[in-house]
Amino acid sequence: MGKKYSIFITVLFCLFTFGFGAALLLLPDREFSEQENRYLTQFEAPTLDNVFGENGEFMANFEKYVNDQFPLRDEWIHLKAWSERLIGKQENNDVYFGGEGQQTLFAQYTPPSDLAQRVEYVNQLGANVDVPVYFALIPDKSYVWADRLPDNAPLVDDGSTIQQAQGLVSGDVNFIDLSGALSGDDVFYRTDHHWSTMGAYQGYVALMTTMNGTCTILDSEPTLVSDTFYGTTWSSAGAAWVEPDEMYTWVPEGGLTGHTTVTRYPNGSPVDGSLYDLSRLEVKDKYSMFLGGNQGLCVIRNPDAEGGRLLVVRDSYADSLAPFLSLDYQEVHLFDLRYNRLSLNQYVQDNGIDQVLVLYSNSNFSTDANLALLGL
Amino acid sequence: MVFSTPYFLFLYLPAVLFLYYISPFRYRNFILLVFNLLFYGWGEPVYILLMIFTIVLDYFAGLIVHRCKQRDDDRGARWAVGVSLALNLAILFFFKYWDLVATTLQSIGVPMPVLNLTLPIGISFYTFQTMTYPVDIYRGDAEVPKNLVSFGTFVTLFPQLIAGPIIKYKELADQMNFRTHSPEQFASGVQMFTIGLAKKVLLANSIGQLWDVYLATPGAELTTLGAWLGILAFSMQLYFDFSGYSDMAVGMGRMMGFEFLANFNYPYLAKSATEFWRRWHISLGSWFREYLYIPLGGNRVKAPRLVFNLFVVWACTGIWHGASWNFLIWGLYYFLIIVFERFFFSKVLNKLPGWVGHIYGLFIVMVGWALFAVEDFAAMGLYLKAMFGMGAGLLDSSFLYYLRNYLPILIIAILASTPLAAALWKKLSVRARQVAIPVLVLAGLALATAYLVDGTYNPFLYFRF
Repeated sequence: MGKKYSIFITVLFCLFTFGFGAALLLLPDREFSEQENRYLTQFEAPTLDNVFGENGEFMANFEKYVNDQFPLRDEWIHLKAWSERLIGKQENNDVYFGGEGQQTLFAQYTPPSDLAQRVEYVNQLGANVDVPVYFALIPDKSYVWADRLPDNAPLVDDGSTIQQAQGLVSGDVNFIDLSGALSGDDVFYRTDHHWSTMGAYQGYVALMTTMNGTCTILDSEPTLVSDTFYGTTWSSAGAAWVEPDEMYTWVPEGGLTGHTTVTRYPNGSPVDGSLYDLSRLEVKDKYSMFLGGNQGLCVIRNPDAEGGRLLVVRDSYADSLAPFLSLDYQEVHLFDLRYNRLSLNQYVQDNGIDQVLVLYSNSNFSTDANLALLGL
Repeated sequence: MVFSTPYFLFLYLPAVLFLYYISPFRYRNFILLVFNLLFYGWGEPVYILLMIFTIVLDYFAGLIVHRCKQRDDDRGARWAVGVSLALNLAILFFFKYWDLVATTLQSIGVPMPVLNLTLPIGISFYTFQTMTYPVDIYRGDAEVPKNLVSFGTFVTLFPQLIAGPIIKYKELADQMNFRTHSPEQFASGVQMFTIGLAKKVLLANSIGQLWDVYLATPGAELTTLGAWLGILAFSMQLYFDFSGYSDMAVGMGRMMGFEFLANFNYPYLAKSATEFWRRWHISLGSWFREYLYIPLGGNRVKAPRLVFNLFVVWACTGIWHGASWNFLIWGLYYFLIIVFERFFFSKVLNKLPGWVGHIYGLFIVMVGWALFAVEDFAAMGLYLKAMFGMGAGLLDSSFLYYLRNYLPILIIAILASTPLAAALWKKLSVRARQVAIPVLVLAGLALATAYLVDGTYNPFLYFRF
């Protein structure tokens, strides 16, 4: 290597390291990452206490700060996902790429090791309350769309969770097997773990067949409200090549007769809500369009329905299902164990509930830490 | 601090290089010492005091050795060497092995407190490094350092502080006082550093995920091919991790005018355990040879004593690698095999075709890695059983998935662990190389950056409801 050439290589290296270092220090810091849907770490000045204190908080925070505020962070993440794909990987950051053109993303699924204990909480609820208790688990996307998975992918739902759960329920609980309920190319989002509006409708039909003996057939077609939905699985995978999903509404706002009302309790006190909150389509977390997102309690009232009062112990899958349920029940109460510490048994008595449905997706049922509250 | 992080690569390293090069030569060791201490103390600032204590202790021990020798006081010089070695080993023992001994004694009923101290980073490396100093002075292999700063810089030199190579004082003494800097050396350092970074981030970290899968697999579910795939992954991860760090050290050293010796020489080409240890972590092997094996008498002794010497060296080599009994077992495993090779098997091996030797060498090394990598004895037993066909069958569907997913990167890694790439590189014309170097350097830095930034990727998964 000649001197001039060596200087060229030296300058190249210094431009890269000094350049990104300087950009990191000089560019304004970001508050929030849309892609990751979280607040990013901000700079914290060093003090005697946080440098020499017990935990070295300054150093730990500074490392996070540099990582979070690194210039072109989202682009680097996409580059890594691309690189993994080019080297032949069928997964990145615990997400499988599947289907045609690797356009379908699957969060890896691990069955719970303590399923018996989890089902036992549901059994306790069944023993506690005087009204019929139904229990259903929504199969994971990797079960319903198994044909799109990479060959031999190990961390998937093979149907055993639902099968085992069915064997564990007591006589007080009516188990509804949803493993065959969902089929078709549009029942899940490709970029998100949730079922789609169409998937939720199929789930609704299966649930109502057991719980109500009948269900409402909608004449109208679903309405396309967004074609730019990138879900959480997409965020984890950093898979920039994947096309966004479409989102649909189906039940008319106000129900079929225009009398349906939604009361939300985002902070414990009632607020008027809607079946589909279209303003939520402006943010990254577009799935919160359904009933406006997570909340401890939400009540949908349809005075024209024939059924009575249904309480659903919910996870987020129930939000896109609830508009359909409101077609058949005068009241649908969506009760979230994470934000609502009222006694379920008491709530059922106080509100004249006629039926209870415990509905979880397989992955949430496997991981939720609040199931013990079911039996209280 | 570790090299493979964005804050090191884009803030610390540029800051060091900038201040280093704008300073006149006589201040450069001082600048380095300050940054070395920042590097060392980043994770645990109070340990800077420990480091300063070590530096001062050894510095004066060396001076006393020097004075005693000038006065022909061999006894005094030996005392000073002995006290320094004893204190260094005591510090190493206290921080690294106390809890191992305490928990082991507790398990047989002797009450000993477990301290749960954070291990000072690089303590195994820099302790061995500082211990060479009084010995080298005593043996007359090196001069005493100019001053405390120069010696402190040697002890703490950040490029090789945490993962070697272990540099003997005599190898670096001259460079501490005088070294040249040139664009040629810097550019060569850039290439070496980028190769090391790519080895660590692109190969070791990626393949390590495959090993993580098999390490986490319950022993009863391990299949034979799965266990071997796992150990192959670990073999590649460890080699590229370690040699990647060494390459980065050599590269950054060159950027600041230092030359360190190579630490690896294609270890997986070895045709025996004996040869493997001449190719693997060379600086550690040569340290034990010069400062333990030869002082014990080396191989110029009768057979029983030779076996004893080998036993001591391999027991120490094993336990040096970590405070867990499996490392001792791993060291003794090499003791047995090397004795076996020395007294018998090497004569047989020499007569066999080369490929038999390669298979034998790799087999020994990979079984050894299973002892090294699985710290829990029960799990280690199950892992070895699976490797030797007594697991849950030959293969399962997850093996096919992982093989399919990791085959391309494993092939790249296997090729990269042979001299093939270097041979091809030499065949390129000078012009082609001149075009390739900046492209490869930029591609290596960019891809490594992408993997490092992604490694911290932490999307808030609101899907948990």
